[in-house]
Amino acid sequence: MTGLVRAEFRKAFSTKLWWALLVPVVVLSLLVNLFGGLFTASLADAHQGTDVPPILLGSLAYSLSLTSVFAALYGVVTAAAEFRHRTITTAYLTAQGRGRVFAAKAVATGAVGALYAAATVVVGAVAGLIAHAGLPGAGALAAVTAVGLLVAALWAVLGTAVGVAISNQATALVVTLVYMLVAEALLSLLLGRSDNPVAARLAAYLPVNAGDVAVYDVAGRVLLGDGTRLAELLAGVSQPPPWWGALLVLAAWTAAGAATAQLVGRRRDIT
Amino acid sequence: MTNSSGRVGVRGLTKRFGPVAAVSDLSFDAPPGAVTGFLGPNGSGKTTTLRMILGLVAPTSGEARINGVPFGALPQPARVVGAVLEAQGFHPARTGRRHLLACAAAVGVPDAAVDVGLGAVGGYSLGMKQRLALAVAMLGDPQVLILDEPGNGLDPEGIAWMRSFLRGFAARGGTVLVSSHLLGEIEQTADHLVVVSRGRCVYQGGLDQLRASRRARVLVRCADPDGLARALAAAGIMEIDTLPDGRLGIADADAVRVGDVALAAGVAVYGMVEETIDLEQLFFQLTTGQWRSGQGGP
Repeated sequence: MTGLVRAEFRKAFSTKLWWALLVPVVVLSLLVNLFGGLFTASLADAHQGTDVPPILLGSLAYSLSLTSVFAALYGVVTAAAEFRHRTITTAYLTAQGRGRVFAAKAVATGAVGALYAAATVVVGAVAGLIAHAGLPGAGALAAVTAVGLLVAALWAVLGTAVGVAISNQATALVVTLVYMLVAEALLSLLLGRSDNPVAARLAAYLPVNAGDVAVYDVAGRVLLGDGTRLAELLAGVSQPPPWWGALLVLAAWTAAGAATAQLVGRRRDIT
Repeated sequence: MTNSSGRVGVRGLTKRFGPVAAVSDLSFDAPPGAVTGFLGPNGSGKTTTLRMILGLVAPTSGEARINGVPFGALPQPARVVGAVLEAQGFHPARTGRRHLLACAAAVGVPDAAVDVGLGAVGGYSLGMKQRLALAVAMLGDPQVLILDEPGNGLDPEGIAWMRSFLRGFAARGGTVLVSSHLLGEIEQTADHLVVVSRGRCVYQGGLDQLRASRRARVLVRCADPDGLARALAAAGIMEIDTLPDGRLGIADADAVRVGDVALAAGVAVYGMVEETIDLEQLFFQLTTGQWRSGQGGP
């Protein structure tokens, strides 16, 4: 199994994809946090001597939410590329069982997803320093970072599952992008307008929202003392679960995706 | 239970893609220490069969075993079976060296096994890709080699090298199962033949038996075919056919003997041809369905 994981890492870092997607992650984090940092700095100037909440934490959480899209894309493209370039034949011939290949790939893509989140935080913190915002407390920063790493890793694994299940690279990519950027937002809007209180709360349990809620809730707890309002505002949901609950929800979606990929991929004919 | 015989066994293997039967009730063995040629025209189900043996395609019925177990039950498959398949791809932007290193990790062999410097696969010719695929197949030092049309894209020198490589592998006790749509390509390599046509086995056995199943004939054009036939029969030569063009086809005598008998019988001979057995033609007859197994098969 360790050999298979090592093989997946070697495959991951022997093509351009990982850094081609790292570039927009870094650029977006730089822009978002530069803006967030400037905002914090201007607030500090206006309220001399008072405690200024570290807004940077909010912009960091927002850029981590953006990063999860790229983490998912990385998973989708990496997994579907194996089918596109027919390297999946070799992968299956060198492993006992297709499940192990998927597990090894999930470990590698999850790590790359976490790497994207780490890059987001590092670049975001540097941007905050450039904007003279000062850094939020180490504990708060660590908490947002840890949740952000987990969310990005889960999204990369979920993307991997989508890539394996759909296997056609273009289709998998379009499905993922349309769902993450458009479909879930529409679905949340519809659910949010529902008169049924249960349906209205359901939006927070969709995968994209769950990931967002997790990072916003942690950041909100530091910024405002309670993360629910920030999560409701930024993720567009009502009565979201706490960060750990949201993480579990996203983990459940990821597990469901992985199970589907196994089911679909297990007896697929590789011709 | 797993054994370490290196034997590949196929029993009643059948694969249907929708209404199309790609492989029908195929059974054969590829024994260790020999090269088994898997022969058939394009679209006869060779690739599907090899992929079923390798667990890449799920059979509709029947089973394929390597070392007594299905491929999926082999604990370290790449250490038992190496495969070079036609549609086995490479990422075009990855270098051959990096591809091999990734495979070495998956197989579980040290990186030292990969001692080559190779550029991005995108720039490779078909022959280079075949060689890279073979290098991957050999990484785990397998007992069994399964190759699908390995001659494709190789130049004559490459084909000659591949031939001696496969012969050497089998001579060291390995099992080789190699497919081809050209008899000539594996005629000099294979010890056994499995010939398929439209997913069915039409011949199974040695090359010599295949040759023997069609004996050479002497074709004679003469003034009096009936007279010559009687004279030949009197001389103990009984296997005589009359061809549609009026010539006699004599199977159990050579041209010298037929000539002597004709001279003694006073029959004028206008022409005599020794028919050669063209294996390629025989293969063509086999696979176009004009000839069925059982006539010369074991």
